[in-house]
Amino acid sequence: MSHRLSRRRLLQLATASAAGLGLAACGDNGSGGAGGDSDSGKITVWSWTTAAEGLRSVVPSFERDNPGIKVDVQDVGNPAIWDKITVGLASGGKGLADVLHIGVDYLPGYLDKFPDGIADLSRLGADKYKDAFAKGLWPTVMGKDKAAHALPWEVNPLGLFYRHDHFEKAGVDPDGISDWNDMISAGSKILDATGVRLLGLDKTGATQDMDFFQNLMQLQDVFYFDQDGKITLASPAAVKALTIIKRLNDAGLIADTAGQGTEKRLLSQGKLATYAEAAWAVEYLASTFPEQKGKWRSMQPPAAVPGGKRNAIVNSTYLTVSGSSTRRKAAWQFIEYALTKPAQINRMFASGGVFPALKAAYDDPKFSAPHPFYGGQKVLKPFVESLSADARATNFTGDYARALKFASDAQSQVLLKGADPAAALKKAAEQLAQQTGRQQAV
Amino acid sequence: MSLAPSEHAPATATPAGRGATGQTGRTRPGHRRLLTRTSVPYLLIMPAVLGFAVFKAYPIVASLWISLTTGNGAGRHFTGLDNYQRLLNDPLFWTALKNTALILVVQVPLMLGLALLVALGLNSTKVWLRPLWRLGVFIPSLTGLVAAGVMFSVILNRDAGLLNWVLSLFGIDRVNWLGSPFWARVGVVLVITWHYTGYNAVIYLAGLQGIPQELYEAAKVDGAGPIRRFVSITLPQLRPILLLTVVLSTIGTLQLFDEPYVLTGGGPDNATLTVTMYLYNNGFKYFDFGYASALAYALALIVAVLGFLQVRLMGERK
Repeated sequence: MSHRLSRRRLLQLATASAAGLGLAACGDNGSGGAGGDSDSGKITVWSWTTAAEGLRSVVPSFERDNPGIKVDVQDVGNPAIWDKITVGLASGGKGLADVLHIGVDYLPGYLDKFPDGIADLSRLGADKYKDAFAKGLWPTVMGKDKAAHALPWEVNPLGLFYRHDHFEKAGVDPDGISDWNDMISAGSKILDATGVRLLGLDKTGATQDMDFFQNLMQLQDVFYFDQDGKITLASPAAVKALTIIKRLNDAGLIADTAGQGTEKRLLSQGKLATYAEAAWAVEYLASTFPEQKGKWRSMQPPAAVPGGKRNAIVNSTYLTVSGSSTRRKAAWQFIEYALTKPAQINRMFASGGVFPALKAAYDDPKFSAPHPFYGGQKVLKPFVESLSADARATNFTGDYARALKFASDAQSQVLLKGADPAAALKKAAEQLAQQTGRQQAV
Repeated sequence: MSLAPSEHAPATATPAGRGATGQTGRTRPGHRRLLTRTSVPYLLIMPAVLGFAVFKAYPIVASLWISLTTGNGAGRHFTGLDNYQRLLNDPLFWTALKNTALILVVQVPLMLGLALLVALGLNSTKVWLRPLWRLGVFIPSLTGLVAAGVMFSVILNRDAGLLNWVLSLFGIDRVNWLGSPFWARVGVVLVITWHYTGYNAVIYLAGLQGIPQELYEAAKVDGAGPIRRFVSITLPQLRPILLLTVVLSTIGTLQLFDEPYVLTGGGPDNATLTVTMYLYNNGFKYFDFGYASALAYALALIVAVLGFLQVRLMGERK
């Protein structure tokens, strides 16, 4: 008799605890919007490396001006921060920081897949800064609900850094280069004269760094998706972009940067003649390779097609407030303080190298000052000017990560197996459509 | 609630012995005791059962449900078998499956054969310093998977890697280990083999030492040579252990993730993309948890079928 009773009791106990867990799990679902609007207390901020350093430099004056709020900036690291934010959002906002630093490649995906995960900032007054940031950025902060969910912090206009010494030795005049046709013939001259390859690319696609391909598309105002979210990965402009990469490769101008630290090693050995990167690289090159002082210059990126435009926004990053934060007002106050005041944002630029998206920041004299690392060139000026020109924001959509994967596969097929760019992109676009249910633009 | 057993413990300790005779109910009417001879085993397994329920059973059931839905955390809706249908039409899934199968067919026999040879060597009484060799053989399996992956990505680096440097000493051209689809697969096979051969060798060694010496002596008397003894005594005696390692290695390979993730990221051009990596990408890169769960169930099904077949084909026949 007794053992039956005890067994039942044990069973009851087990059921009760399992039910409790189930309830707890249910409680998590959709609680993303269940945060609070407290305007005081301690807020935590997640960012990475130099950007986190930049944010920390703002904290002392912010805490002095807002005595009720304490700020803890945590350097979560990149790419670790994406896994951490994704897991946090997927579990209904549990354990997320109050303020999250998010890149344009992730923001639309988060807004799309976790509608309550990132707080509505329009409600807290963000709309008054609609025109304060570089052109084309504001649409990228909007969710499907037509409310702003982020404030732009960093914007990365495209540039082209080149080794002045290699160019000179090969007798190449950078002013004579206006599109990638010119650049390819210049690259061959440089290779012959110096043995240095024009640029580095990860041919294997292990890192899925497709910035170069994307930039060549962005220079033609095209991306993986159009503004309606339709797939344009097989568009003529995309084929053009991949064809340029194929021509560079066929001419032997691409150094393979596959493998940890390879690109950095090639740069430090002076084996890359150009570095086609965005504004953040201004300080990166100067601080990473100080011994190459005076050897680098920057120029406007060559156009993808003859007569095409020579400016593009590579990407941008944002500060957001997590929907589950209980101190959303305090978090917003910090974001507003850090990102809308020229003095603060330029302080972060100085200590973290984060190129500001705030237009008022460009009035600072440092944006037109000569830079010793670049042989006294006013290196920042063209970047600022390219932002005020016809720069357009890109529609990354919630399916960017998938598009990136298929584009990277297509590029590897072209570089490693000699595939035809148009055929490789056609296959990639079809797979992207099959996996996302999106249509291809006609 | 949790205090109850300990409160009762002193009172019940002695009568519990009599509990089995059916006396307990009468001695203390109306007072049900938690600690009886039959309940204690249940209490002992309770932590494991609860742990299983929370960390295994719940995710298993929940992911089955998720695999039948689409959408996001807040707005998940039922779509029936759509994800599974999508799976069958997804070329990348088939690529991943093909890669996994290829690694399975090439790597598992290679590694287990190697492990058996190593075990035979370690078991030989003619080898000096046996404990040292055993330690050396086993040490790789103590290395963390990611650490091993990172270490090999340095060793296999095309321009600055150790392996290409060693090859160059013999006049062999640099191999683009991680950059060409073929060699990247070889690289992954190399890392897994390095990592798990010693582990399997130690299991075989234990098996070898369990084979009665009399069998070998009798065979010798009957005139059997070393190869004959290996085929007719060692292999049949090791059969259950061989089965164990084959099944474990098969499951391990089907779930292969860390090494290709760190070494190649699944590339180049998906040459080393495994099913588990593809699953991870769908869940944590594309936030497509429904599809990722469907992938997990497809993989579980494959593991179950393969495991069943192996046990059927290699198991003891009664």
